[in-house]
Amino acid sequence: MEKVCKDWVAEAFDSSLVNACHWKEFAQNAKTASAEILHVQNFTEATATVSEIIHSLKAKTVIAVGGDENPALQNLYKSISSPSINVCTDKFDIAENAPTADLGISTAEFGIGETGSVCVDTYSYEARLVGMLPPVHIVFLNASHIVENITTAFQVISRVFHKGHMGFITGPSRTADIERVLSLGVHGPSRFIIIAIENNPEGRLH
Amino acid sequence: MEAASTNRNIRKEIHKKLQDNIMRDALSRFAAQYPDARLHAYDNVESIEALRDDLRDMKRYTVDHIATIADTFESSVRERGAEFYRAADGKAVKEYLMKICEENNVHRIVKSKSMATEEIHLNQYLKEKGLHVRETDLGEWMLSVAGQRPSHMVMPAIHLNRQQCAKFFSQELKEDIPSDIPFMIQTARRVLRKEFLSADMGITGANFGIAENGAIGLVTNEGNARLVTTTPRIHVIIIGYEKLIPKIEDAAKILRLLPRNGTCQRMTSYMTMVDGPTPVMYKKDGKWIEEPRKVYVILLDNGRLKAANDPKLKEVYQCVRCASCLNVCPIWTLVGGHVYGHIYSGGIGAILTGLLNGLDDFSKFSDLCIGCRKCVTICPGKIHIPDLIDELRARNIKQNGLPLPEKAVFQNILTNRKIFHALLRIGSIGQKPVQSGKFIRHLPLFFSGMTKDRSLPAIAAEPFRDRTKKLFQKNPDKPVCKVAFFSGCNLDFVFPETGESVVKVLQDLNIEVSYPQEQSCCGKPVLGIGDRETAKKIAQQNIEAFEKSSADIILAACPTCAETLRKTYCELFADDTIWGPRAEAFSRKVHEFTSFVADAYKRAGRLAPTAGTHKITYHDSCHIKRGLGIYKEPRALLEAADGTQFVEMENSDKCCGMAGAFGVKYSEISLPILKEKIDHIKNTGAKTVAVACPACMMQLRGGLDQQAPDIKVKHIADILAEHLH
Repeated sequence: MEKVCKDWVAEAFDSSLVNACHWKEFAQNAKTASAEILHVQNFTEATATVSEIIHSLKAKTVIAVGGDENPALQNLYKSISSPSINVCTDKFDIAENAPTADLGISTAEFGIGETGSVCVDTYSYEARLVGMLPPVHIVFLNASHIVENITTAFQVISRVFHKGHMGFITGPSRTADIERVLSLGVHGPSRFIIIAIENNPEGRLH
Repeated sequence: MEAASTNRNIRKEIHKKLQDNIMRDALSRFAAQYPDARLHAYDNVESIEALRDDLRDMKRYTVDHIATIADTFESSVRERGAEFYRAADGKAVKEYLMKICEENNVHRIVKSKSMATEEIHLNQYLKEKGLHVRETDLGEWMLSVAGQRPSHMVMPAIHLNRQQCAKFFSQELKEDIPSDIPFMIQTARRVLRKEFLSADMGITGANFGIAENGAIGLVTNEGNARLVTTTPRIHVIIIGYEKLIPKIEDAAKILRLLPRNGTCQRMTSYMTMVDGPTPVMYKKDGKWIEEPRKVYVILLDNGRLKAANDPKLKEVYQCVRCASCLNVCPIWTLVGGHVYGHIYSGGIGAILTGLLNGLDDFSKFSDLCIGCRKCVTICPGKIHIPDLIDELRARNIKQNGLPLPEKAVFQNILTNRKIFHALLRIGSIGQKPVQSGKFIRHLPLFFSGMTKDRSLPAIAAEPFRDRTKKLFQKNPDKPVCKVAFFSGCNLDFVFPETGESVVKVLQDLNIEVSYPQEQSCCGKPVLGIGDRETAKKIAQQNIEAFEKSSADIILAACPTCAETLRKTYCELFADDTIWGPRAEAFSRKVHEFTSFVADAYKRAGRLAPTAGTHKITYHDSCHIKRGLGIYKEPRALLEAADGTQFVEMENSDKCCGMAGAFGVKYSEISLPILKEKIDHIKNTGAKTVAVACPACMMQLRGGLDQQAPDIKVKHIADILAEHLH
């Protein structure tokens, strides 16, 4: 899968900018923005969490990216697929199934404490589809990959953003265009779930 | 589309909007909630001011280097494989866009909100060309269905309620849609999803364009911009020059403020950056293929480059289109955006319309800024919106001249103090100005016939200037300093007793007071409509009058006068080698009454708070709070006054609705603003409301007289004089 940066940790991160100490503020702001946050120790544990979500959604079709870059994630995608649950990871499969998929899964590069946003590298077409078309979107985030604020986020981004498509996601799609009443899920997902991987010794999701 | 007529009857339009209770309820609820919600979003930043300074400085740098930054942006875009085109105006955009559509066999277009395309009426054009075009922002989509224009840049449909929205849904979808908000949202999702998936082309604007790497950024909550930049095989970006920024990191300077000011969020749901062609997949002959998307970037001028080279108006480049200036505007929050008649509404809208459409369109609604400067205190880019409006008014007068009645009054009467004052004395001036409605804050006679919900004072039998001889007999023998009093028209001819109080308070401080008889109106009324030449003549008379006095201090008890004397005179003569230094020397001596007295009381140990029972509240005039930055001193004086208990009112610094000519010409707007102010005063339970501004005193007395006669309005000078032993 094409990306703005193949290895954000090596090329963009800097321990003075990206630090777990900003987690608390990140989580608080993300929740204020209606994001859901779940904690797991590792991808093995994440498999059970994702399975529970699939079960509760009664999801039949899942579109998922990031597995090619991360064997642990690839394993997770294999584990959750079953005869009754179609997990699409091939880009053309994703494109075909995106309009009817029940759940999209992808990864985030880092979180932003000040706003509760996650930074997503959506260079590839399929990475954009999984985050926008299904009613529910799950992102995996390394819990220690958090920057303090928007300014530091752009310091990180400016090191690697030469071309492509990327941005921030802060909670689910929302509108207040009718009587300023907040409604979720107008064009994009109505639920945005961040699964924070606590213990990720290699420090990377991909 | 409902287009702005060239022969507008703006009063009629305003009258209609004021009858629209649905809109008025929505706007007043929003206006009440916005300020706190905005501040809450900033709770976790150290300094809002520092962020605003950063944004302003970055934008200022950009406009000063706009040609090279635009060149860098162009080469960055081209290097990455996108097409780039500079469009001089809307016509050029349309022609280029049609060429793209023809070359690429485009039939269906989805758009995510772009003010620039609204500005050039693009949708209408594309539809005429037979293209299927859909707005995808929910509010914009509903309005396009309804054939209405957005009334706000960020909340386009704020003037509608759910029943009205349901009607537009039903009309468009030809099915009965109930006025249930979640149901309507899901319906929009279903309908617009089809549009996203079947579109050949996506058109977006941009919240910023980065010269360093050619990326553009889009900020939305619904995610429509993210879809418009995802599903179609062609992406066209229409971006104005004012959206360019030099570096990637500069985007942070916009993004820390724009969502907080615009929608009271720390960040919107989606912030998307697009930089050059990225892969897109679509089905060709039943088979999925992947190829690079075609990306076209159109850099739109349409008057922007001219503004960039204008020493004053280039400030508009500091605008990030958050529309927060509307959210705090006493006029916009009452009448909504449609009466501004063009795409951009509110104060910033007046300026943008002046730049993009010309001064003729601007002049039709340029009155709708009352100069209260509330917007200046929150604008992320620190734009001096009312000052730019004043500048455009002045240019309009220079270009098109003054209307005849004003011309007669301003140029023949106001520049001749003797005639002006003689006319005031016999109370015969004003018939014409009242009819044309363009007159003055300071002159009371023009208010005849305006007594509904507000009574207005009469000219005093004996003006202040005739009382001075007797008053000055009580001047101290060995004064600590000499003050020359500038009364302004109101304290001279309407409230001479307050002028007397000023003198008594000063004499009590062992100060010698004088009154140069040659002084005249400060000139603000003529400045307000843009007649700077007349204002200069008036200023010269006042400067000369006070140069003859030997006073150390020039004191005004009207903050509008004080600000005009202290700041505007220097600006008027900035390029004048003779009058410039004289205005500077004059202005250095000018002080405002409450701040001057508070300082003297403090030094004399007379500013300690006292515990009393007489409840007193305070209304901040716009010019004293935001013009002079004085708001602590009046409160300190009131807290120190014997027997008083000071209480704050809600929104104490919101305009009272007088605002000079405005309160007269647009009494229909002025009176609801006054009513809100009076409600806030009543809610405090105060028996007295103090002011430091004679014009506010006139407005509040008029309103309270009719609506709450037991509450007294007093100038702080009067309260202090009452407490002298």
